[in-house]
Amino acid sequence: MNLEKVIFGFFIVLAMTLNFGFFLGDIDNPSHHHVYELYAAIVVSLIATVLKFGDRTHVGAILLSTSLAADLQLITAAILWAALSGKMDEPSLITYIVSLSGGALMANFVSVILLISETIGQRR
Amino acid sequence: MNSILFLILRRLRRPLILIIVCFAIAIFGLTLMPGLDNEGRPWHMSIFDALYVISYTATTIGFGEIPYAYSQSQRLWLTISIYLTVIPWFYAIGKIITLLQDTALRMAITTERFSRAVKELQEPFYILCSYGESASVLARTLDEKGMRVVVIESQQERLNELDLAETYSVIPHLCADAKLPENLIRAGVHHPLCSGVVTLTDNDEVNLAVAVAVKLMNPALPVLARAERDDIAANMASFGTDHIINPYTLFGDQLAMRVHAIGTYILHEWLTDVPGDTLLPPETPPRGRWVVCGYGRFGKSVVENLERENITTTIVEAMPELTGCDTCIVGSGTESKTLLEADIENAVGIVAGTDNDINNLSIVMTAYELNPKLFVVIRKNRRHNDTLFRQFNADITMQPTEIIAHECLAHMIAPLLAQFLTLVRNQSNSWANQLISELVSVVGETVPERWAITVSKDKTPGIAELLSKNISVSLHNLSQDPADRNKQLNLVPLLLLRDNIPMLVPPPATALRLDDRILFCGIPDARSALNISVNNAKTLTYIVDGIEVPDSMIWCWLKKKLQ
Repeated sequence: MNLEKVIFGFFIVLAMTLNFGFFLGDIDNPSHHHVYELYAAIVVSLIATVLKFGDRTHVGAILLSTSLAADLQLITAAILWAALSGKMDEPSLITYIVSLSGGALMANFVSVILLISETIGQRR
Repeated sequence: MNSILFLILRRLRRPLILIIVCFAIAIFGLTLMPGLDNEGRPWHMSIFDALYVISYTATTIGFGEIPYAYSQSQRLWLTISIYLTVIPWFYAIGKIITLLQDTALRMAITTERFSRAVKELQEPFYILCSYGESASVLARTLDEKGMRVVVIESQQERLNELDLAETYSVIPHLCADAKLPENLIRAGVHHPLCSGVVTLTDNDEVNLAVAVAVKLMNPALPVLARAERDDIAANMASFGTDHIINPYTLFGDQLAMRVHAIGTYILHEWLTDVPGDTLLPPETPPRGRWVVCGYGRFGKSVVENLERENITTTIVEAMPELTGCDTCIVGSGTESKTLLEADIENAVGIVAGTDNDINNLSIVMTAYELNPKLFVVIRKNRRHNDTLFRQFNADITMQPTEIIAHECLAHMIAPLLAQFLTLVRNQSNSWANQLISELVSVVGETVPERWAITVSKDKTPGIAELLSKNISVSLHNLSQDPADRNKQLNLVPLLLLRDNIPMLVPPPATALRLDDRILFCGIPDARSALNISVNNAKTLTYIVDGIEVPDSMIWCWLKKKLQ
C-alpha cells in the first residue's frame, strides 16, 4: 500500500467519473449539465496531469498524453461556455460543450484502462 | 532536451498542484458568495469572471472590483483568496528560480548542449581529452589550420580559459571526466567524422583509461596518448594505441640527435613547428663531460641518450635511493658546494632537470657563476614561468608541453609526416643538410606547410582522369604552376608512399600511379595552386602537354573541324 499510488489512482479515476457525470444526460438539455461539474472535472483533470509529470516510463508518457488530450477538450469546452453564453441559444451551445466533454471522456477512459492494465501487469 | 524538460516538470509538480488546488478553491468560493449588481438585484459571479478576478489578484496585478462593486461577503472571500493564492504563486516562482540555479539542472543543460554541438559537426574533428598546457597549444594550432576540435576537461578553470580564447571556429567543450565512456560518446567517439582522440593529461592512469575505452568502443579510431611510465605505455600498446607520446624520451632522443646529427635535428624541428614561424639555427651541444642535476624520468632519459653518444655524465641527485642511481653526488645542485663536488669547473654542459622550475633556474645560475662557458640545458615545467626562462636564455630549454604538442601535430596534420621523420632519423647528417638547403632555396626561411595528397578518383579527380586516359603525370608536373607551366611552385615532395613502400624525396621524374600518397611541404600559396591542378583535368593537361583543351561543345566541334 503506497499513499502516492492511492492519490494517483484516485485523481485519474475521479477525473473520469466527474467527466462522465457531466456528460450524462440529454445532449441538448442545459438543465442536465451543471457548470460546477465541468469546473470540478477541469480542476481534477489538471491535477491528474501534473501528477503524471516526470514519469519517464513508456506507460507514464501515454498516461500524460491522454491527460493532455482530456485537458485540451475540457478547457476548450469551458472557453466556449464563457465566450458564447448569452450570444447563442442555450441548447445548441450546450450541445457543443457536452460533445467536447464526451471527447475528453474518451481520453480519460483510455487513461483509466492504461492504469488498470498496468496494475494487472504488476506481479503482486 | 527531453530529459531536461521532464526534470523541470517533475520538480515543479508540487508547486503546480498547490496552485491548481488553491485557485480552484478560491474560484469556487467566489462564485458562491452572494453579491448585488448596479441595480441592487442579487448576483452571483460566473466561473469565468471568478477565474479572471482570482488570476489578477493572485499575480498581484489587482484591477479592482469588476464588474460591480463587491458585497461584504465577496470581499471577505477575496481577502481569504489573496492569502490563499498569492503565497503558492510566489512559492512556485521561487521554486522555478531555484531550479534554474540548480547545479544538477545546469549540468544537464550544458551536457545536452555539448552533445548537440558535437552531433551537428559537419567536418572531421579531433577529441582532446584535456585542456592542459600542451592540449591548449594543440587546440589553438588545429583551430588556426581550420580543423575542428572537441574538448573534455575535468577542471572548470581551464575551460574558462578556453571560453575567453579567440578561436576561428567554435570549440565545443564539456567539464567532465574523460574516463567515463558516456562522456567520450557525448564527445563523438561514435561520430562518423571523428578522426581521432588525443589524451594528454598529466595523469598516466587517466590517459590509459581513455585509450582503452576508445579502442574498445571504436577500434578504428586513431588514439594519441601521453604516457610517462613504461608499464602504462606497454599496456596502451597492447590495446592498440596508435601513438604513445613520452615527452622525456622524445626530448632525450632529440638531444642525442642534436649531438650527433644537428642537420637531422633542424629538419625535424623545421617540419614539426607551427607553420609561419621562423627558426633560429640551433647550437650543437659540445662533447665532453656533462653534469646532470636531477635523475628523475627526464634525467634518466638524458643520461641514457648522452651516454649512447659516448658523452660521460656526472649525476647530482637529492634523493638517490628514490630514483635508483648508484654513483651520484647527493645534493640538489642549487648550492655551489654540490656543484663543485661534481667538478662543474671542468664540465662542458649542465642539465637542470628537476621537476621544480625555481630550483632549475637556481642550479643553472649557480653553475654559470662557477663556469660561464657551460652549455646549459634547462627543463621548464610550467608555462607561466615563461618570463623567467626567457630572461635566463639557456642554450636549450626543454618544455614537455611543446614537445608533446609538436609530436601530436606531426601525427595529426599530416600522418605521412611522422613516417617521413622516422625515415629521416636513419639518414646521415649530410643528407639532412642537403635536404635543408634544398628546402630553404624553394620555400624560404619560415616554417613551411606540410600536407599530403592521395591519387584517387575522389581526392584528386584531375590526376585520376589523365591516368585513365593513359597520359603519364609525373611529380614534376605537380610542381608546375597552373597559371604558367614554365614557372615552378614553391613546394617540394618529401615522401611518396606506393603499396606501403615509402620513397624518400622522390625524384621529379617519378610517374604517378593510382593510390599513391605524397607528402609535400611548401608555402601556403603553392598548396592552393596544387589543389587547382590536381582537381582539374583541363588545367593538368595544360601543365603536362602545354595544350589548352577546349571545354565547351562549340569549341570542341570547331577544333574537330579545323583539324
